[in-house]
Amino acid sequence: MTSLSPKPATNPVLTLVLVGLAALVNLGISLWMRAQVPFWLPVQASNAAPHVDGLFALETAIGTFLFLGCVEVILWTVLFNRGSKYDMENGAPIEGNWNLEIVWTVIPLIIVMAIAWHTVGVNAILATLEGKERVSDDAQALQVASTANGAQQTLGPVQVIARQWSWEFVYPGGVRSTELHLPVDRSVSFELVSLDVLHGFYIPAFRLKQDIIPGSVISYRLTPTRIGRYRLRDSMFSGGYFSSNQTDVVVESANDFAAWLKQAPRQPLAPSWNAATELHQRRLANGNRGWPVVPPAPPPEVNVGLDPASSHEA
Amino acid sequence: MSSTASYDPRVLRAPHPVPGAPDNWKRFFTFNTDAKVIGIQYIALSLFFLLVGGLLAMIMRGELITPPSDLVDPSVYNALFTMHGTVMLFLFLFPVLNGFNNLLIPTMIGAPDMAFPKLNAIAFWLFPVFGVLLMASFFLPSGPSSSGWWAYPPVSTQNPLGQFVNGQFIWILAVALSGVSSIMGAVNFVTTIVRMRAPGMTWFKMPIFCWTAAAAQIIQLVGLPVLTGAALMLLFDLSFGTSFFKPEGGGDPMLYQHFFWFYSHPAVYVMVLPVFGIFSELFPVYSRKPLFGYPLVAIASFGITVLSLIVWVHHMFYSGTPQWMRNVFMFTTMLIAVPTGIKVFAWIATLWRGKLRLTTPMLFCLGGLVNFIFAGITGVMLATVPIDIHVGNTYFVVGHFHYVIFNTITFGVFAAIYHWFPKFTGRMYYESLGKVHFVLTFIGSTLNFLPMHWAGLMGMPRRVASYDPEFALANVLASLGAFLLGVAMIPFLLNLVSSWLRGPKADPNPWQAIGLEWLLPSPPPLENFEDDVPTVLNRGYGYGLNLPLVADEERYVQRAKEA
Amino acid sequence: MTSTTPAEITGQDHANGHGGHNLTGMIIFLCSESVIFLAFFAGYIVFKLSAPQWLPAGVEGLEVRAPLINTIILVSSSFVAYFAERQLQRGNLWGFRAFWLLTMAMGAYFVFGQAVEWRGLAFTLRDGVFGGIFYLLTGFHGLHVITGILLMALMLWRSFKPGNYEGGEAGVTMVSLFWHFVDVIWIILFALLYLWQG
Repeated sequence: MTSLSPKPATNPVLTLVLVGLAALVNLGISLWMRAQVPFWLPVQASNAAPHVDGLFALETAIGTFLFLGCVEVILWTVLFNRGSKYDMENGAPIEGNWNLEIVWTVIPLIIVMAIAWHTVGVNAILATLEGKERVSDDAQALQVASTANGAQQTLGPVQVIARQWSWEFVYPGGVRSTELHLPVDRSVSFELVSLDVLHGFYIPAFRLKQDIIPGSVISYRLTPTRIGRYRLRDSMFSGGYFSSNQTDVVVESANDFAAWLKQAPRQPLAPSWNAATELHQRRLANGNRGWPVVPPAPPPEVNVGLDPASSHEA
Repeated sequence: MSSTASYDPRVLRAPHPVPGAPDNWKRFFTFNTDAKVIGIQYIALSLFFLLVGGLLAMIMRGELITPPSDLVDPSVYNALFTMHGTVMLFLFLFPVLNGFNNLLIPTMIGAPDMAFPKLNAIAFWLFPVFGVLLMASFFLPSGPSSSGWWAYPPVSTQNPLGQFVNGQFIWILAVALSGVSSIMGAVNFVTTIVRMRAPGMTWFKMPIFCWTAAAAQIIQLVGLPVLTGAALMLLFDLSFGTSFFKPEGGGDPMLYQHFFWFYSHPAVYVMVLPVFGIFSELFPVYSRKPLFGYPLVAIASFGITVLSLIVWVHHMFYSGTPQWMRNVFMFTTMLIAVPTGIKVFAWIATLWRGKLRLTTPMLFCLGGLVNFIFAGITGVMLATVPIDIHVGNTYFVVGHFHYVIFNTITFGVFAAIYHWFPKFTGRMYYESLGKVHFVLTFIGSTLNFLPMHWAGLMGMPRRVASYDPEFALANVLASLGAFLLGVAMIPFLLNLVSSWLRGPKADPNPWQAIGLEWLLPSPPPLENFEDDVPTVLNRGYGYGLNLPLVADEERYVQRAKEA
Repeated sequence: MTSTTPAEITGQDHANGHGGHNLTGMIIFLCSESVIFLAFFAGYIVFKLSAPQWLPAGVEGLEVRAPLINTIILVSSSFVAYFAERQLQRGNLWGFRAFWLLTMAMGAYFVFGQAVEWRGLAFTLRDGVFGGIFYLLTGFHGLHVITGILLMALMLWRSFKPGNYEGGEAGVTMVSLFWHFVDVIWIILFALLYLWQG
């Protein structure tokens, strides 16, 4: 019952060759996985995106290597270290191996610290968050946002006003829009404001996200690098019809952007189409069934409204 | 077997359940101070709530199988995901683990019961109270809480109907009661482990499950009061007009997030540490090999306890935290990978050159291990600030934490239920049904949660009732997996019920495992070893080492067989 | 580390064994309970340092004299409780009861003093962050004082049962510990609320 299973005769050269081969194959698969990463992500539309994707690809490669290594060892034991159903014989009575334990404590420590250190550098490159100023009410929030000074050559600041459940963008000069138009390859600064609850300013194609906190004005900056139409989604749960709190980001050439900015004020201010408002009206028409929900804030009065039929790239 | 004549009359008069005795099942509905009864009460009730939480998930996945919000009103969906999370965490996971603490801690350390049996029973009976409270909130005019299980203000304090007693109010009360019950339990478990070990059982001869239980309960003691504080302040904001988190009154919503996560991050370690303990207990048994590196694995448990208290800001990387704070907490979060890695490698090394038996508990452990390696890798990704900025609050996070909570922790819970089922019920479960449960669960959980990572990378936010069409495929796959998981519960429940009612009588030690609980009869009598507590000579897990676990071991083995 | 002997488990030394458990349990509980106060203290500090408008309009600060007197009485009551324990250890039951009752009276005076202070304040719970955290902190602490008094009443009543102390005085020790804990919390509270103004 407590007999030792004989240590299998191992050929050290064979073991080394096998392990080396497995490591090479795993490396190959890890590098292949790394090459697949772009297919899992939206297009890269900001200057932050390549850095984020690069980090993610690196960690995918390392993670794949680690995962494969572990799973292969586990599979080996399941295949070759099996006892039959009624076999109560014991395995090898190995209680530990301090050298091995030190190795698998120190090496992961080095790896994660190296990743963290490298990422601090990436963080510095990506430093988009400029500052946060506490305010006491909506009026003060809007006032702080509108008087903020952007740096030279940067467009802005563009006020971003988040509500339950709509987005409003106010450009320097007074153009109001529910669609965020931006010129390509030019840094733009924002003043993020919420008039009610927490919201999340998230543009997946840019790989950027910043929560918007009621009672604070947050300065934010980014640089789009690809022309196209992308989604902006509310990423922080904001109650009720939060899923519909989406809009489009239109990145266009400098000329197209200037043209848009010029003709926008010619359109009179009118309430934008708003998904949440539509959903709520439908709910009221159906007898207001469901659990209580905060009535949506009236859609913002803008020069350029949202087109419900618009499509987006990412 | 079922005639009362074969039972010692003192045993029959005892308040604890006695399999085969008439009206045995009624004893589980009483205020019973025996930890083994309380343990089963916790586990049974928590499995009921697992089904409730699972039902809520089925409706959610039914909504999410198509892009538009067309199954239920968005307000209903918000309540669904809120209550799904709340039920699964507070009414399934924490109680089921407390159930195992009750069953295993006294028996594993040779104690007759917990240090405070009455407190133990009170802690359990709070569970149906806050469970009913939470369920009752579904029937309020304001509906249940719909602000997510985080209950972030200002959404959670909006109270659209303006009623005093609303779903959020009940939610806060229920969570506070759950906290009180947990603290009672924590005081009990820690005192028991510290003071009531059998003679000869030093800390480093104590079963690893007790190490992880102690580590987890210490986290509860240090972290839960902060959540209670947050809940109190939230309650006051909601119902009594204060402004702790209301900007218009000078408050700060971010303070709530700090309080909330200061507990709720360590809380996930409260849930995962006992399962680490379960894996550490089961791999040796089913590989018939000692646990590799026991001392380091034991200490790593407390390493995780300490580190878990200094990582909470990684839930707030995109919230408006300053850069230096993000960097600091990225480092601390990455550090936790080290003690966790120590355990993972120790388990793999335990398997190496063992004699593996692929019983149902072992399958769940192996599946849980593989899933956990994956979850750990996505965890390191989430610790990396720029990546978290992109995938935070998306389905990538939902995928990650379900890989931990379901594909690892719940797998561990299933493993533990099968492994110790014969010990605490005296019956053996049906192995083939168990294997069916495993296969369906593994496939279902992979299908359910793996595609979520992809949806998150593509930019699908979490908690949405509707989504853009590009996420459709990932969601269809996830929903199919979820429905399969629902089906997988059937063989599991069938197995539990029919095995307990009419399964074959179990040996005291069907797995030939080494541990104090296996020296007891199945099921153990009231007060376990009673007045014949063994003296521990060596650590458990001594497979192949030819070392006795206790002095006079043969006598205990005989005694257990004759009972 | 400690391990229990079979005698303790069988109950021959049952009461003492359990007395030891009770004390360990109470210490663990108090460590945990202190964290909720620490959380509120942290909240207080954060609010005070970062709120745009700290004190409510029309409020200049808190009056210190009366709370200081209350503080002295509460802190002294801890010493009185200690004397009570000493009397009990010497077997002088009536001495114990006298000092114990005095402790309760001093605690009751503290609660009374707190209520008087509350009634005289120019701001309410809803007056901004300061109002909220002030009443939350002092109210939560006050609840603990009241609980302490009630626990002491229970110990007093038990002291009249014959043979109550055969198994040791763990109950009294536990309640004493709780009372000292409540005291220490108040000292920190007093420093934060009343001494650190402005």
